[in-house]
Amino acid sequence: MIHRKTSLSENIVTFCRFLREHGFSISVQDETTALEALAYISYQNRLDFQTALAITLVKKVQQLEVFNRLFEDYWKELEKALDSKIKDGKSKSNRPIKSEEQAFNSLKSWLNGNRQNKEEQMAAYSPNESFGQKNFANIPSDEIAEMMTSIQTLSRTLARAIARREQATRARKQFHFSRTIRKNMRSGGELIELAFRKPKKNRLKLVLLCDVSKSMDLYSAFFIQFMYAFQKVYQKIETFIFSTQIARITNELNTNHFNEVKANFSEKINIWSGGTKIGQSLAQFNQDFGKRYVNNQTVVIILSDGWETGNPEILSDAMETLHKQAHKILWLNPLAGNPNFQANTVGMQAAMPYINHFAPVHNLESLKQLWKMI
Amino acid sequence: MSEITLESIRGLLFERGYITDHSIEMALFLSLKLQKPLLIEGPAGVGKTEIAKVMTQILATELIRLQCYEGLDASQALYEWNYQRQLLHLKATEESGISVEEKEKGLFEEKFLLKRPLLKAIQSPQKCVLLIDEVDRADEEFESFLLEVLSDWQITIPEIGTIKATSIPQVIVTGNRVRELSEALRRRCLYLWIDYPDFEKELMIVRNHLPNIDAKLAEQICSFMQVLRVQKLEKTPGIAETLDWATALVTLHFSALDKNIIESTLGVILKDWKDIRSIQLSLSELLDKTGVNSKVDSI
Repeated sequence: MIHRKTSLSENIVTFCRFLREHGFSISVQDETTALEALAYISYQNRLDFQTALAITLVKKVQQLEVFNRLFEDYWKELEKALDSKIKDGKSKSNRPIKSEEQAFNSLKSWLNGNRQNKEEQMAAYSPNESFGQKNFANIPSDEIAEMMTSIQTLSRTLARAIARREQATRARKQFHFSRTIRKNMRSGGELIELAFRKPKKNRLKLVLLCDVSKSMDLYSAFFIQFMYAFQKVYQKIETFIFSTQIARITNELNTNHFNEVKANFSEKINIWSGGTKIGQSLAQFNQDFGKRYVNNQTVVIILSDGWETGNPEILSDAMETLHKQAHKILWLNPLAGNPNFQANTVGMQAAMPYINHFAPVHNLESLKQLWKMI
Repeated sequence: MSEITLESIRGLLFERGYITDHSIEMALFLSLKLQKPLLIEGPAGVGKTEIAKVMTQILATELIRLQCYEGLDASQALYEWNYQRQLLHLKATEESGISVEEKEKGLFEEKFLLKRPLLKAIQSPQKCVLLIDEVDRADEEFESFLLEVLSDWQITIPEIGTIKATSIPQVIVTGNRVRELSEALRRRCLYLWIDYPDFEKELMIVRNHLPNIDAKLAEQICSFMQVLRVQKLEKTPGIAETLDWATALVTLHFSALDKNIIESTLGVILKDWKDIRSIQLSLSELLDKTGVNSKVDSI
C-alpha cells in the first residue's frame, strides 16, 4: 500500500476531493487505485500522469472532458502556488478549489441572468405574462396522494410486457426439461414429477418527456405533481423536461419530500417557461439519451400542447426515430380537454402519424379517465 | 513472458496489427499491472473487441468470450448440469447394484458439468483473457450477478462446493451504451473511452491492414471518412467500414477517389437507406470539403 506522506500522494487526495466537489463520485478505493497506478508510471511525464489518473478516476465518457479541464486548472494553479513559494501545503491545495468555485459561481450567475432575460423575450407571445417568474413554492402538495392512486392504476395497465426470461410455474404451460430431470433425480431418473415454465413478465420502462415551455405554464403545477407522483409510484421511469433544450430531472424528482423537489427545480429554472422547440428538443433527446433510455420495452409519454415554434420537419424526423426505437408513444395534451380542440397545430400534425395513443390530460379527473382509453 | 512496460506495449500491439493511441496504451498497461477489469466504451466499430483479441496474443494465452444478450442468465454464463447425460448414467447403472449414495455421488461429478465461459475462465490453469462483450445488452439482473463473480473470483456450485480461481483472469468488458451501466460495475473497473480515430490514426490503420494500398487513395479515403463522420447520420461508420471500403477499392484497382466511385460504393460504408440518400445529395459539397476533386485534377 502506498500511504507514505509524500507530497504527491497528498496532492492526489486533494485533487480527488476537488473532483468530488465538481460532481465526480470517487470512492476511497478509486483513490487507492489511482495511487497504485502512479507507482507504475513516471509522473515526470505530464501526459502519462494525466492519462493514468483519467483511466482510474473517470467512470463515464461524459466526465472525460470535465476531468481534463479540471486537471488543467488544478495543476496549473498548483504550479503557480509552488512558484510563488508558499510553503504551507494545505493552503496550496485549497487555493485552486476556491478560485475554481468562485469562477464557476460567477459563470453560473452570469449564465442564469442572461438566460432569464432571453426567456422573457422568447415568451413574448404568451397570453399570460404574470407567470414569468416561476414560483414553485405555490404548488400545492395535497392532491399528490390521490394522483398517486390513479397513476398506480394506470401503471398497472402499462406494465404488461413479456420478457425473454422464463420462470418456473405450477401451471401446466411449457415443459421445463432440465428442471424436471433435476427434480426426479432422487427417484433414479424415473419421471414422476413434471416441471413447467412460463415467460416471465417484465415491467415496461417509462420515459416521461414533459413540455415546460411558456405556453404550458397554466398546467405546470399539475404537471410537476404528475411527474413527481409518477416517479414515486413507478420504479422504472426516467423523467425529462424540455422547452428549447432538454434536461434529465429523474434525480431531482427522487426525493421523499415534495418540497425538496420544488427546491431542486428552481435550479433548473433556465429551461422552465422558455420558448418551444419540440422537434429540436426531441432530436437532442434521441441523440443524447435515446439509445440508453429507450428500447422496445419502453413506453414514451410526451406531455405537450404541440405548440411548436421550430421547424415541423425536425419534429416529424425526431418522432419517427423515437417511434422506431420505443414500444409505444403516448401523447398527452392538456388542450385536448377542451371540446373545441382540434389537433391542427403545426407541431401536432407533424407528430400525429407516430403517436400510438393521443389523450387529453389537464387535471386529476382526466387522468383517471386515461387508463380506460389505453 | 518478458516484463511489459508502458513503452513496449505500443510496439507489442503494433506488431499484432493494432494501432493504439496514448490512452489505450495506458489503460491496457494499468489494467495488466493493477489486475483490474477494464471497461471499454465507445461507438460501434472502433475496435473494442479487437483489443481483447490482441491482448490474448500478447499474453500468449486463451481468450474466453462471453457474448451478452437480453435474457442471458447464470446457466448460460456460468454452468449447467448435463441432465441428459446424468439420466443416461442413471439408467446405465440401474442394474449394477451400486448403492443409492454411491449413485448420487457419481451423478454430480465434474464430467456432468457443462462449463460456460465464466466457470471456464475461473478454472483456467493459466491467466486467460475474459472478454465480456456488449455487457449492456444483458439486463440488470445479470449485471449484479456478474459483479459478484468479478469481485470474489469464486463460484459456488451447491452439489460440488466452492471453486476458487487458480489465476485471476484479465477481464475486458465492452459496452455500446445501449443501457446505462450500474455505478457498482463502473466502480469496479478501469475506464477507457475509444472514440472514432483521427485522420493520422485511421491512415495508419488502413496502411497497416492494406500494405499495398496506393498512398493517395488511402489518404483520400481517410479524409473522406473524417468528413463523413461529422455529418448527421443514423449509423456513423466505424473503422471496420473504412477497412471494408478500402479493401473493396483496392480489389477494384482504383487508385484515386472520385464522385462516381464513391456514389457506387457508398453501400459499403453506409448501412442505412436514409443515410445513403442524404449523403448522395450532398456528395459534391462533401468532396469539396475533403479536397478530393482538386487532388484528382492535379494528377
